[in-house]
Amino acid sequence: MPSPDLIRTSAPFLPLLGKELRDLFAGRALWALLLLLSPLVGYSFIQAVSLYAEASRPAAQFPELARGLSPFDGIEVPTLGALYLATTLLFPFIAIRTIGAEKQNGGLKLLLQMPYSIPELIGTKLLTLLVAWLLALIPCLSALAIWLALGGHLGAGETLNLLLGHLLYMLVITGISLFAASLTDNGATAAIMTLAFTIGFWVLDFAAAGQGGAVQAIATLSLTAILRGFEQGIFSLAILAATVAAAVGLLALAGLWLPPGLAIRHKLVFSMLVIATATFVMFGAAQLHVYGDVTEDRRNSFPLPGANALASLGGRLTVIVNLSAKDPRFMDFHRSLLGKLRRTVPDVRVVVTSGRSSLFNTGDDTYGLIAYQYDGREASSRSTSPEEVLPLIYGLAGIDPPKSDAEETYPGYPLVVDATNAGSWFYVALPLLLLVAWALQSGLPRRARQILARK
Amino acid sequence: MSLTELLQVEHLAKRYGDQIALADVAFDVREGEVLGIIGPNGSGKTTLLECLAGLQPADSGQVRWLGQALPRDRRKRAMFYIPDGIAPFAEHPVQAVLRFMASTHRQSTKAMQDATEALGLGPVLHKTVGTLSKGYRRRLLLALGLIAPHPMLVMDEPFDGFDLRQTRDVMMLLRATAKNGRALLLSIHQLGDAERICDRFVLLSAGSVRGRGSLHELRQRSGTSDGNLEDIFLALA
Repeated sequence: MPSPDLIRTSAPFLPLLGKELRDLFAGRALWALLLLLSPLVGYSFIQAVSLYAEASRPAAQFPELARGLSPFDGIEVPTLGALYLATTLLFPFIAIRTIGAEKQNGGLKLLLQMPYSIPELIGTKLLTLLVAWLLALIPCLSALAIWLALGGHLGAGETLNLLLGHLLYMLVITGISLFAASLTDNGATAAIMTLAFTIGFWVLDFAAAGQGGAVQAIATLSLTAILRGFEQGIFSLAILAATVAAAVGLLALAGLWLPPGLAIRHKLVFSMLVIATATFVMFGAAQLHVYGDVTEDRRNSFPLPGANALASLGGRLTVIVNLSAKDPRFMDFHRSLLGKLRRTVPDVRVVVTSGRSSLFNTGDDTYGLIAYQYDGREASSRSTSPEEVLPLIYGLAGIDPPKSDAEETYPGYPLVVDATNAGSWFYVALPLLLLVAWALQSGLPRRARQILARK
Repeated sequence: MSLTELLQVEHLAKRYGDQIALADVAFDVREGEVLGIIGPNGSGKTTLLECLAGLQPADSGQVRWLGQALPRDRRKRAMFYIPDGIAPFAEHPVQAVLRFMASTHRQSTKAMQDATEALGLGPVLHKTVGTLSKGYRRRLLLALGLIAPHPMLVMDEPFDGFDLRQTRDVMMLLRATAKNGRALLLSIHQLGDAERICDRFVLLSAGSVRGRGSLHELRQRSGTSDGNLEDIFLALA
């Protein structure tokens, strides 16, 4: 006779993971993503190699041109750009299905009664989606392997950092998708919600391009901004921590809205708490001033002695930029100086005073002037070149300009090679392998044998 | 014989906007009995079961287990609810679903085999759930209920999808389950079926309890000395 006592609520994890993986592989969404991603990555890779080969040809005659040839920019970023597209537009369908299908067929009502907590259920779905993302990496990693086989070079640090960026981006997309699936009653609505987010951020990025002020400030919160730094070869602890906080917050919201038994007013109150906590953590994370330039040519950093000197500045450096955000000089200044200063000097304040000015109609003689203030002293310059500006800052800080050691020069990695043959892998072999794997897991051979046996 | 009261429900109420779904519902479920929630479509049976299982929020009311408050998030430790009209695990083989249920509840392989045998699922073990007939899908859900170790089993329309013979077999199986000490709470709209299997009844109409007790008690209350459940329901509702 069964005991009337309450049963225990803990359960082994593997059966749940097995069930989620079976759901993942049984659905068409994963296979569709992989089948689409293979030619997409292949096309991006073959085009990237072709362009890289074109750019590499003059380097054979002019070796100094080779220094500008980095496989990171030329091959890796464009190849993984296909993964970015797939993560944005296709991956949400896989993520939404993990909850949406169970909501629609009623399986969620059974699953919620299993001896698993909500964090365990959401965590297992996240782990399953991580497996899906790792499978989506197969075409990308095979492209990089082909690049190496062709004699190309890859920097380990910048490659791993780029993959980390894509992983973080996937985590946030997954968080949004699961939250949308928890919130809505059917997958189509959840997909529309998720795509409204992701495509909305694209629009925001587009609108913010070359803008200053509030629009640009909002655009720094966009999803694509997560990836941008990693695609430039910059590791940022602030981005890492803030992204993880955002993803955890979204997953917590998904978990909160998943069980139908919790009253809406409680869900709303707890949601506010989750959002407030995540925002607080993200704001705190944004204060983390830990950066790493993982590029082999250290393009995102000042030369090491200068960087060390700037990192030791104890006071606040204020930079007042009298330039329109649309001005190419501003973009040049940002790339060659401002970004590096922000990552190097512990306390930098930047004031853009000409955000609304038109590029051709400023009517202001001081337009283009950039002022630097440190410890009550001020200097200004119209230059955007580190060679001219850094001595000004050293002067303001009262430190001797550090002597540049003869740093090891980045040699560059030109390679004239043809990757069109790789098309047979991306357009034929890999899709065929995927189709075979799909058929095997769906039990097609067994069913075919049964049909033949009946005949 | 005095049976232990496992579940006590008091003053349970639920509204959907202006519409009253449940109003001041109260009853108890005893160890080893089959209690039927009886009522026409739209009377609030499913809402009641889902509120009890913690799958819908109730607006007010108390649910107790052996006299102790049983909050919503602990209900799944006391009861396992099999909803009506669901088609889960469509892409999974039947055997995998049974094994999943058994392993998550740390039940033995024998428990799984017993449920498979009792519900006649042997011929479809390797088929995917999505390819099963409605009757087999219903049997699979019942098998999951039998594997679950909960002291109380809650089922919404457990005989839907079965023919007469299958209904009779399932009734015998459920009676045997109750005889082993499990409490069964069944929502049934076919009054004939309910009369054959239930020990006691809760008559529900428009979200309110119109009567509760055994057939004999309900006959006395309704003044229909030899009436069947339909007569009693019409007299009380």
